[in-house]
Amino acid sequence: MEFIFGQLAGFGMAFATLVSDPWTYVYLITSVFLGITFGALPGLTATLAVTILTGFFGNKIPLDYALIALLGAYVGAIYGGSYPSILLNIPGTAASAATAMDGYPLAKQGRGAEALGLTTTASFIGTLVGTVALLIFVWVLLLISKNIASPEKALLALFGILLSGTLMSADLAIKGWIAGLIGLALAMVGMDPILSEARYTFGWSYLLSGIAVVPVLMGAFAVPQIIEGMRHVRAGRVAELNGRILPNMTAMRRYLPTIGRSGVIGTGVGALPGVGEDVAGWVSYGVGKSVSEEGDSFGKGSLEGLLCSETANNACIGGALIPLLVLGIPGSPPAAALMGAFKINNVIPGPTIDPEIILRVVAIMVLASFTMFVLGLFTARIFIKVLRIPQTVFLPLVMVLTTIGSFSVGGGLNDLYLMLGVGLVAYVMNLLCYPIAPLVIGVILGGMFDETFRRSLLLSDGDLSVFVSRPGAALLLTLIIALILGQMPGAKRAIRRLKGRTT
Amino acid sequence: MKISITRTLAALALTGGIAGVAAAQDYPYRDITTAVVWGAGGGTDTINRMIMAEMEKHLPVSINVINQTGGVAGSNGMVYAANQPDDGYTLVGLSESNVTAAVQGGWDKKFDYWYPFIVGGSPDLISVPADSPHDSLSDLIEAAMAEPGSIPAAAGGAGSIHHLNLLALEQGSGARFKFVPYKGSAPGQEAAIAGEVALVVTSLAEQAALIEGGQLKPLAMLTPDSVEIAGQTVPSAFDSYAGLSEVLPLKQAIGFAVHDSAPENVKATLAGAFEKAMASDTVATWAEVNKYDIGGQYGEAAQALFSTLESTFAYTLKDLGAAKVMPEDLGIEKP
Repeated sequence: MEFIFGQLAGFGMAFATLVSDPWTYVYLITSVFLGITFGALPGLTATLAVTILTGFFGNKIPLDYALIALLGAYVGAIYGGSYPSILLNIPGTAASAATAMDGYPLAKQGRGAEALGLTTTASFIGTLVGTVALLIFVWVLLLISKNIASPEKALLALFGILLSGTLMSADLAIKGWIAGLIGLALAMVGMDPILSEARYTFGWSYLLSGIAVVPVLMGAFAVPQIIEGMRHVRAGRVAELNGRILPNMTAMRRYLPTIGRSGVIGTGVGALPGVGEDVAGWVSYGVGKSVSEEGDSFGKGSLEGLLCSETANNACIGGALIPLLVLGIPGSPPAAALMGAFKINNVIPGPTIDPEIILRVVAIMVLASFTMFVLGLFTARIFIKVLRIPQTVFLPLVMVLTTIGSFSVGGGLNDLYLMLGVGLVAYVMNLLCYPIAPLVIGVILGGMFDETFRRSLLLSDGDLSVFVSRPGAALLLTLIIALILGQMPGAKRAIRRLKGRTT
Repeated sequence: MKISITRTLAALALTGGIAGVAAAQDYPYRDITTAVVWGAGGGTDTINRMIMAEMEKHLPVSINVINQTGGVAGSNGMVYAANQPDDGYTLVGLSESNVTAAVQGGWDKKFDYWYPFIVGGSPDLISVPADSPHDSLSDLIEAAMAEPGSIPAAAGGAGSIHHLNLLALEQGSGARFKFVPYKGSAPGQEAAIAGEVALVVTSLAEQAALIEGGQLKPLAMLTPDSVEIAGQTVPSAFDSYAGLSEVLPLKQAIGFAVHDSAPENVKATLAGAFEKAMASDTVATWAEVNKYDIGGQYGEAAQALFSTLESTFAYTLKDLGAAKVMPEDLGIEKP
């Protein structure tokens, strides 16, 4: 009990500091607005919004303010994706793909304004659910993480890369793993962390400090997105919008259990390493469809279906921040960009992270969700106008911004070559249906895996049994093996047979 | 940030317009830039931002602090500053760790290329996890003597100031530990708390919060003086091992520098502002709160200090096999 009051007091302090600083509002309103715009423009994603802002703000303004800008854009963009989903039947971000299932039918029935009012409220509540979970679980996990030593860290990093590969892959899990392994290989470049030997630098001094994270983020997330967007310009007709955008309180009350369940699902999916808002939205939608009494009407304009995905994808944000702050393992692709921002500010997430940063993140999340709610209700019509901007106008603009952002982090012109190189590789991978997120997660977690794996062996004098003799490590190793075996053709068939028998 | 950009632009416009008469003007007539070679938010960055804000008060111009990170041992930032004119308008924010840039192949100059100003540094100490069976330094050293090279020890990265302190402790006490490299002080301290290593050598500033939180148990200072922290006295290791005074103390030296080739009046102006800033209450309070010892050396005194650090670091790295360029080839003398 005392612990909870302590937390609330700490949060109250952080919140008061934030609210009483006028600069907060400058950064917050701008970034949430920018985030919603990014989310609303098809082809621009939340990851891109956070990545570009990391380039621009990461190390140029104090981290306290940079966090406001990045989290504001993150929350705004995940919400903003619902506009084109509902009005155009084109998801603004992958996170809102499930929203289109019911949102567009509603808009066609002339209930677009009602749908937007509901998604605004659902996103607001979802963000808060995720944030509350963050406030509680981050401390629980921090307590546990004090006992996490090198063997567990190595296995956690590996688990994160594999899990992201498995879940983010559209067709074959092995493609996700391959992407993850490419990322791992990239992370090996530079000075090795244990013996300080140069590896794969080919005598090029730029590579001595390793592959820089921000150019990789820019290259992997922005470049393919922009090329793809330019190749297939999608023109949709914006559905007519009648009436005012207001939260429908009766519907909210009626579907309260749905909202609660979706919030929990979203947070949980978010906490999984490298698995993002899109998966959260679909999982919640799928669960909603199978447990709801109105499951049959899902996909035909069900308010409940809409709430399922929109609550979950916003709740995912808070969830994704939990492993990021506790273990330095990003819970979603935009969180990977946030990790980049922490890295260039020399903040190392982990058991010794400054608790004030955590409380500040929570306070920013709460304030950002309010800002999003207010902007959503009062300025929605501006964002709808944004939908009419043709992609051929804004995508080249975004490319310029990406380049400036990547350059401005301070690594020089070589950063841009790296960005373009990674971008082209990522584009080809995109064409071949390889997921990109595991690659980035691999680059971010690869260094951690390399360092902790070899340190474990150094400590044990080369004895591999350290990975099974410690209970935490043994558990993680079992999970990893199960994850790999679960994708083997034989195991897959067995699972399908079991499923067939029970249903 | 916005302000400093406009200021820089204004300064640029000004210098463009009056370049002809500029040479005759007294230093400084336009804004100064300090390039910190380590990242924003780190110790060197924080110290430079503090001291520059304080020095500004005694100079007619502003000082902008930027970060130029990367390379080997901060070589990117040093190369950047070295490539700017030696007119005192570009300073470089650095620390003792930068003395290894040359032997690690990051650049090709000895450290006396710079004319340094030392703000201060935090003393190193040896600590163990709170639940460690060892309650004193002699306890720990005896345990290490019994099983040489088996007790895992963390002390930052290989070749860091903390690693050098650990090596000196081994040399002075005769014990041998198993050195486990970590990427920095924070991960090494985390490992000590998790029980992965049995002891950790880092600076007092870095350990203070963990000692006050009861997560680390301090055993001994690696400096001649004892220190009061969290209601207890941490004794000096020199008291129990007399041999240590020959190899220690090896202390952090954080501050900034100007080209050694800069004109005398530039050095004198900077020194004046530096002395006034170091005497201020801001610096005293900062040092007290953050557990730093105030330095204040500059010019030849600081160069002598850095040259000792340079040779100790260089030959230690050579012994570890981590030197890319031999210290002899750079003209660095043996310690």
